[in-house]
Amino acid sequence: MSKLPVAPEQLEAHYGPHLQFPGGKHLQSGLEIDRLVKTHCCFCGQQCGIQLKVAHQQVVGFEPWEDFPFNRGMLCPKGIKRYLQGGHPDRLLTALQRDPAAAGGFRPLEYPQAIAQTAAAIAKIQEQHGFAAFGVLSGASLTSEKAYLMGKFARVCLRTPYIDYNGRLCMVSAGAANKKAFGVDRGGNPWSDILGAELIWISGANVAECAPITTHYVWQAREQGARVVVVDPRVTPLARTCDLFLPIKPGRDVALFNGILHLMIEKDWLDHAFIEKYTVGFEKLAESVREWTPRRTAQVCGLNQKLVEQAAEWWGTASTSFLMHARGIEHHSHGVQNVLGAINIVLASGRIGRENCGYSTITGQANGQGGREHGQKCDQLPGGRDISNPEHRAHVAGIWGVAPDDLPQAGVDAYELFRKIDQGEIKGLLTLCFNPKVSLPDSEFVARCLDKLEFYAAIDFFLNETAQHADIVLPGSLQEEDEGVVCSAEGRVIRIRKAIDCPGEARQDWRIIQDLAAALKRPQGFEFQHPGQIFDELRRASQGGVVDYSGITYEKIEASYGVFWPCPSEEHPGTPRLFEPDSWNVVARGQGPFYFPDGKARFQVADYSPPQEEVDEEYPLILTTGRVISQFLSGTQTRRIGPLAEMHPAPWLEVHPQLAAKLGLKAGDTALVESRRSSIELTTKVVNTIRPDTVFVPYHWAGRESINRLTIAAQDPISKIPEYKACAVRVRRLEHGS
Amino acid sequence: MTRERWNAGMLALTATLLLAFAIAAGSRDFHNFDAALIGYTFSTLFATFGVAYRYAMWLQRPPTAMYWRRGWTVFFRPGHLLANCRVWLHRVLGEFAANEFIFRRSKRRWLTHMLLMWGCILASAVTFPLVFGWIHFATDADRLDFYRVHVFGIPTFAFPTESLFGFLLFHALVWASFLVIAGCLMALRRRLRDAGAQALQQFAEDWAPLILLFAISVTGLMLTASYTWMKGYGYEFLALLHAVTVIATLIWLPFGKFFHIFQRPAQLGVNFYHEVGGKETQQPCLRCDRPFASQMHVKDLMTVEKQLGFHYELDEQRHYQQVCPACRRALLGLSQGEAWKGISRDV
Amino acid sequence: MVPEKMEFFIDANRCIGCKACFQACSECDTHKGVSMIHLETIDRERSVQTVPVVCMHCEDPTCAQVCPADAIKRTPDGVVQTARKSRCIACSNCVLACPFGVPKMESGRGASVSGFNLMMKCDMCYDRTSVGKKPMCATVCPSGALFYGTREQMQKERPRSRPINEFRFGQQTVKTKVNVLVPRDSALEQLKVTDALGSQPDILLLGMYQEEEP
Repeated sequence: MSKLPVAPEQLEAHYGPHLQFPGGKHLQSGLEIDRLVKTHCCFCGQQCGIQLKVAHQQVVGFEPWEDFPFNRGMLCPKGIKRYLQGGHPDRLLTALQRDPAAAGGFRPLEYPQAIAQTAAAIAKIQEQHGFAAFGVLSGASLTSEKAYLMGKFARVCLRTPYIDYNGRLCMVSAGAANKKAFGVDRGGNPWSDILGAELIWISGANVAECAPITTHYVWQAREQGARVVVVDPRVTPLARTCDLFLPIKPGRDVALFNGILHLMIEKDWLDHAFIEKYTVGFEKLAESVREWTPRRTAQVCGLNQKLVEQAAEWWGTASTSFLMHARGIEHHSHGVQNVLGAINIVLASGRIGRENCGYSTITGQANGQGGREHGQKCDQLPGGRDISNPEHRAHVAGIWGVAPDDLPQAGVDAYELFRKIDQGEIKGLLTLCFNPKVSLPDSEFVARCLDKLEFYAAIDFFLNETAQHADIVLPGSLQEEDEGVVCSAEGRVIRIRKAIDCPGEARQDWRIIQDLAAALKRPQGFEFQHPGQIFDELRRASQGGVVDYSGITYEKIEASYGVFWPCPSEEHPGTPRLFEPDSWNVVARGQGPFYFPDGKARFQVADYSPPQEEVDEEYPLILTTGRVISQFLSGTQTRRIGPLAEMHPAPWLEVHPQLAAKLGLKAGDTALVESRRSSIELTTKVVNTIRPDTVFVPYHWAGRESINRLTIAAQDPISKIPEYKACAVRVRRLEHGS
Repeated sequence: MTRERWNAGMLALTATLLLAFAIAAGSRDFHNFDAALIGYTFSTLFATFGVAYRYAMWLQRPPTAMYWRRGWTVFFRPGHLLANCRVWLHRVLGEFAANEFIFRRSKRRWLTHMLLMWGCILASAVTFPLVFGWIHFATDADRLDFYRVHVFGIPTFAFPTESLFGFLLFHALVWASFLVIAGCLMALRRRLRDAGAQALQQFAEDWAPLILLFAISVTGLMLTASYTWMKGYGYEFLALLHAVTVIATLIWLPFGKFFHIFQRPAQLGVNFYHEVGGKETQQPCLRCDRPFASQMHVKDLMTVEKQLGFHYELDEQRHYQQVCPACRRALLGLSQGEAWKGISRDV
Repeated sequence: MVPEKMEFFIDANRCIGCKACFQACSECDTHKGVSMIHLETIDRERSVQTVPVVCMHCEDPTCAQVCPADAIKRTPDGVVQTARKSRCIACSNCVLACPFGVPKMESGRGASVSGFNLMMKCDMCYDRTSVGKKPMCATVCPSGALFYGTREQMQKERPRSRPINEFRFGQQTVKTKVNVLVPRDSALEQLKVTDALGSQPDILLLGMYQEEEP
């Protein structure tokens, strides 16, 4: 039973989060540096280039990498202070075994013994209950090599269908919609196409805090005369200076896009030639948006009708444009529909696949793009291949040296995996780079599921809140301790460089996986000596797929600051911009620019439905959640970096002054926020910059400070993304904050 | 010649003459004066003139004059003198003798400064009285193995020549040079390795003083080595070399970094000023209404700024000095924002 | 020496309050561990507007003039240096007198107020700019609110903007080495800072917002 071994306070006392501030070597001015390592930030999907300063086998600081074209030396505070993970007091330096008698709940374990015990426990569960009784949860901050290996390990070594990853919480709605409309899941353009766009449309993306470097692209475009439209329930920092701000009600984005399309059709702001030549399904779509009059759109979206009309006019009449969105429209029980709505207005404008005309989701995690390409997703095989497609199975099985029939079929999404644990179907779990106890919605349910596991092993570098439930913890590696590639938000495959060796008993994650495979006596296919060898196999596995990496090499990446996929041969320069009119792709084979046999994009009817949990008298307010600049995801790393944690030490509740007055709340008051699932006490911030019917809470914290105890586990039926961005809550002032 | 210069010149001259008089009187009309040290004496007199002149010029600058006046007024406030003296003593010991404020900045730099400072104080305490003839040693008439110390020509205590005390006393400059050399090496190490220091340092300001102190100490040690172990080998030359380094340092005293020795005590006055200011009426910010400094300080700065030729007045009543620093920063953002307003109002 | 053609330009409108500048500033060798840049949130209840403030490096620095200890020096290349440690007597004159609110009385992490007894201020990363690199803050700034480069580069990348370096505080005009950007087409020759005394930040700076409840 994987319950917490000791009280959370004891766990925290031993394993943190403790704050590390600069000290010692960090503060030595003119410290002699052994080397500067050109690599990338370990945090978000922007993947800014950065140089790490290494002295005495420790990362002690950074130096901007001004030659890297994406960010030209720019960084956000997270990248700047990431080096404080080096030599962190919370770093796991040995394997651990759950031990309620030990002060911190765990006692150190020799690494080989930890591997042997983990393998034995896996074998026992699988012998008793079958291969599918063991599940694997992986992460989208891993290098593509590791992500690839995790998928292979689950299918080939563990022979379980149950692997999924935390990209499920990130941009799967965009991925699913992109595949439906374009036939391929990748941002359509390099960010340089933003620079010359005449209109920039940003829906549901707090660019300033979640993708800070993109701010510069937007401003550069503005300097050349671009207009910026921002759609968000909150006035985010970039929204403050936009030209048109639409404070939309959470979860209504598809209605807005449908309304825009309605006006485009009515005013004939359409690119008929493009629609004719490169798309199918427009008539059916046009029919479906007939009901989305500006009046109805404004009503549903909670917007002033004039704003909707103005936005439509600007979008309709622009000659170049770039539309971006992020989790704000994707984290919904109809997230795929929201994204399809966005894609529809892009396709109807014909502004895609050429210079300064683009569309992209802004991926959130370090390898948000690459992590969803090579098979750690429950229904996917390397190269963006489909696990239910016999041809795809045969290709990958060939590379892996197994019979196609031995490959498991599709598994389930990460949340469903927990439901299977709850139902007793899955009895054992291995996690890497995932902290579901903090990051999944309705997280008290997740905690209860963890308690039910017969055996749980976690690989991590810090003991995150989920790993606290583990029976065995295996000490993994930080980003700077391994080689590999990741794929950025732009679709640019770039190199992560190893700066230092793992400290203590810690191992590179892929070595731990291989050690497990060996201990399970199924080492075949898990005998790599270097990530480069894994990458070579990944290239072959992806060859001929939509996500074709076969022409990408480490050397090529380094020589050209990254290579955009698809890159089907070593001579191929890569594909920065997708869907160019005369482009060739593996699916259309010359028929057209989109990834369907006829080469045409698909207009998809995008149905509006409200969030699954609408407000009512009992729970009258919409809770929406999001990120802050100084923290990252579940905070396992950033809550341990002193200067970052200091910027935002705790979550808070954001309310509009009108709402605050109604609730009798003043700035600094303690408020009790309750949903049907749980409640939380938060300090109030009264701000003008949010809709009066909506409250906001950032989600990076754990335990009592975790807002995901309140969020709803409603999921999009297609992408299975959870509805983080809208659920119903009530708020009241607490007389005496506890 | 400006009035300030005339004042300063007169004061410097007075100080120099006073020292000259003190040398004459203290050495009993040069009876105890060692003529070989005449060069030292003259350079000391020069340094005295220079330091006094610069100090006087400095005191006449509006901001300094304001603090000087305020500092003393505050110190001598009726009813507080005794308490002030106690605090003063405490600070002299803590901040000056023990360099506590440097300790808080960096322990290594504190050690460096303590070594340099105490080395120099020890060396000065030995050298100047000897040079001026204020102190000399003479063999006791009845006990030939005893030395007696004469201060201003007045015989005081005696001690055995061949004693540990004698050894320590006669080699005081050696010990001082050890301290200074260690301090210099630490400071030089920092100047060679610390990237921040390297960016900002200047030869005259930062390197010259260290080189001078180092040179004095090393040549001084060589003198000792020469007469102790090498039968005075090269003594004449070394003595000359040593004299050159000391004289150069003395002459450099009023100009470069060494001047902080004389400036720094002003900090004591500042402390008293701030303490009193903290207890008095606070200035509320014109924009945010939050108090941010003592009204006395704000008013004094307004006076000083006026004397310096600045015109930060907003109107008859209000002065920019009454806006707190945080609001000044906000105003910069707001005023720049105002310039852009309406730029996109084409909707 | 700081290369003559390299200049500092500030467009506070772009600022997103991310504090990358603040975090990077403390990585600078001349004041490692302490940040010299200010990142001011003007009034969070009303707006997300923030403003980064670096030393503007005045031609006739008020801070240096009011310093009783002669501790603040301007280099020949126009950079107003932080207080010389040996001289600064921690009187706070500069902190109170700087028209831009730049100098800090540094207390050190966890130390009592003025424990260091030392004023510190932005020196335009002299360790970097004097050897041809960019200042830390302007290198990392993700929005381009802080920009360091040549005037030509600035004009090419920002055709809507025009740099000015003259500021008005009451009756006082101050010229600085650092520029701020105003609209190219505006007639402004100097930024009248104190005219903004009655201003409050707007929820949206440029665009339109729905005023009434839908």
